[in-house]
Amino acid sequence: MKNRPLFLLGLFLAVLTSWAGFVLGSHGQLGSLTPFFDEADGQSHPARLPGLAARGQLVYADLGCAACHTQQVRRPGFGNDQARGWGERQSVARDYIFHAQPQLGASRLGPDLMNLAGRKPQAPSADDLHRLLYTGSAAHPAFPFLYETREIAGESSRHAVRLTGAAAPKAGSEVVATERAQTLVAYLLNVNSGFEYPEARPLPAKSPASPEAKK
Amino acid sequence: MSHPPTQAPAAEVSPFDAPARWPLALLAGSALVWLVLSSLLALVTAIQLHTPSFLADCSALTHGRAQALRETAFLYGWAGNAGVGLGLWILGRLGGHPLRALNWAVVGTVFWNLGLLAGMVGIATGSMTGFAGLQIPRAVQPVLVAAFCAMALPGVLAWAGRKREGTYAAQWYAAAALFLLPWFWTATQAVLLWSPLRGVVQTVAASWHTQSLVSLWLMPLALAAAYYIVPKQTGKLLPGYESAPLAFWTLIVCGGWSFGRHLIGGPVPAWIPTMAVVAQCLLLFHFLVVALNFRQVFAGGSLTLQYLRFGLVAYLLTGLLETITSFRGVGVHTQFTLLVPAMEQLTLQGALSMFLFGGLVYQFPRIIGRDWTLPTFVSGHGSLYMLGVVISVLSLGWAGLAQDALLNHSQTPFAEILAQLKMPLLLHTAGQFALLAGNVLLLVAFLRSAAASCCREEGAAALRPASSAS
Repeated sequence: MKNRPLFLLGLFLAVLTSWAGFVLGSHGQLGSLTPFFDEADGQSHPARLPGLAARGQLVYADLGCAACHTQQVRRPGFGNDQARGWGERQSVARDYIFHAQPQLGASRLGPDLMNLAGRKPQAPSADDLHRLLYTGSAAHPAFPFLYETREIAGESSRHAVRLTGAAAPKAGSEVVATERAQTLVAYLLNVNSGFEYPEARPLPAKSPASPEAKK
Repeated sequence: MSHPPTQAPAAEVSPFDAPARWPLALLAGSALVWLVLSSLLALVTAIQLHTPSFLADCSALTHGRAQALRETAFLYGWAGNAGVGLGLWILGRLGGHPLRALNWAVVGTVFWNLGLLAGMVGIATGSMTGFAGLQIPRAVQPVLVAAFCAMALPGVLAWAGRKREGTYAAQWYAAAALFLLPWFWTATQAVLLWSPLRGVVQTVAASWHTQSLVSLWLMPLALAAAYYIVPKQTGKLLPGYESAPLAFWTLIVCGGWSFGRHLIGGPVPAWIPTMAVVAQCLLLFHFLVVALNFRQVFAGGSLTLQYLRFGLVAYLLTGLLETITSFRGVGVHTQFTLLVPAMEQLTLQGALSMFLFGGLVYQFPRIIGRDWTLPTFVSGHGSLYMLGVVISVLSLGWAGLAQDALLNHSQTPFAEILAQLKMPLLLHTAGQFALLAGNVLLLVAFLRSAAASCCREEGAAALRPASSAS
């Protein structure tokens, strides 16, 4: 440690190799993933998120939903993600190539949301999600700031949330989803990774695994 | 390499400390203010864990945002300010010259704290980046890097221009931390904020950054404090000191590799979690040497040594638990449960904060030249903080184990899981309350001491002729 420049150079090289190895290494491996064109249905997967849903991802990120929800299904044998109906297969890197900012999450205080639209046995509807976000539940906080209560002027809004019981607004008013709530729900209903890529098939296949499966 | 410094008289104030007094006190003071703020936010997030509706209708404090605020205030506000203050002080004292370029440090500290404040407002109003550990809004991040460079400058100058050829472990750790952060933080900003990589590579880069933040920046600063203070307090040479350089380089080289333990089974290349196992096994050597070096802390009785002792035990436990959970067979159970925050508490509150408290409690009387005005408050902080950490780590661990059984091995609905975890989560809240109470005590003690020192200085200045007052 007596040689001053050598010490600093050593530090710098240690961090540089670590950064290059992990960040550039995984970029080299996954950065050029392309959508998979399926000849059977003539479509490529994954599809881009529609504009409304892509904006919803920003709302998801800025509210910090990832503090309690993951968006990554693990393969059979890792927990019981399949039994909970979160997805038939594990999530793979290709699922996220059109996500401006993947929200993998690290905590499951709430359910995984990777496949909300394809949830078995029954996927929630937009109405269900709005009701949950507005009124909350025993395990989910309410976010009333995403909604606006206002007088019905003429026709009722098509973004009005259908509420019953104690949460229902008084006669003549309605609870309307703001733009942020609409984009958030659109996002949640569009995050779907149902398509089975070659690399996502479970490993114990009869035929030898394709080269991609090793990734 | 020279031997570590031996015991110094208790009231030792080196002539180097006087010019650095207020810049270092500014760093320590802002650290403590952020600490109290972060423990207040930690209390909010702890309550939200068992009562999800708590303050959730306030858009600035959804659980996600409160977590991001807490984490930012803790990592960058408390640990950053306190660690840099200790690092500068140690490099100055061991470098053999008074610290140079202290104006830069003051300007840097002011901008660092203003930047953090702007970042906190940004997070609360919805501009957080969405990467855990790096939630500060993108517009603020370059300002913070620049401010940090200014803060770190006196330390790097003291390292480069040191008087003696021989160096101490405390110096390597402090110099490495001050030197490395701007490099890797800029690299991360480039690939996440300015020219984002595609898909899950972002997650890899963000997790790498969070790990490096702890392993290459904050922990080295905390260890520098411990390496500096332990021999002074025990009055003995550090045993096994000849292995310290290798332990240092093990941490610097492998410290950033172990983030993959959080990505087990995830949609990232499979070699990343594997490298985490390799890194954690190599790091066991680092932990072993640290344990050897510091084993004398178990003999002493001063408050500083009590903090360092607690920190050492927590640090070693952290190393052991992180190694065990980096294996897939174990990680698959701990992943996504409250065991992860339990271990994070152990690392950040147990090891990191305790080393920093040990450093701060030792440093502050020496830079202001008088003992703590309220020593009972300081020792009260020690007891409350240690109690709080133990309660909160154990209760989160208990909750995490129960959660693993309910989440990963049954179909229990989430509302039911929450109901079953209520007891440990309430205990966790009690632990966070103890931490908050302790931190308030320490802040009060700090302010009283600083105020007393100010008054004395003013009094002394008034007695002197005007010409020599400056």
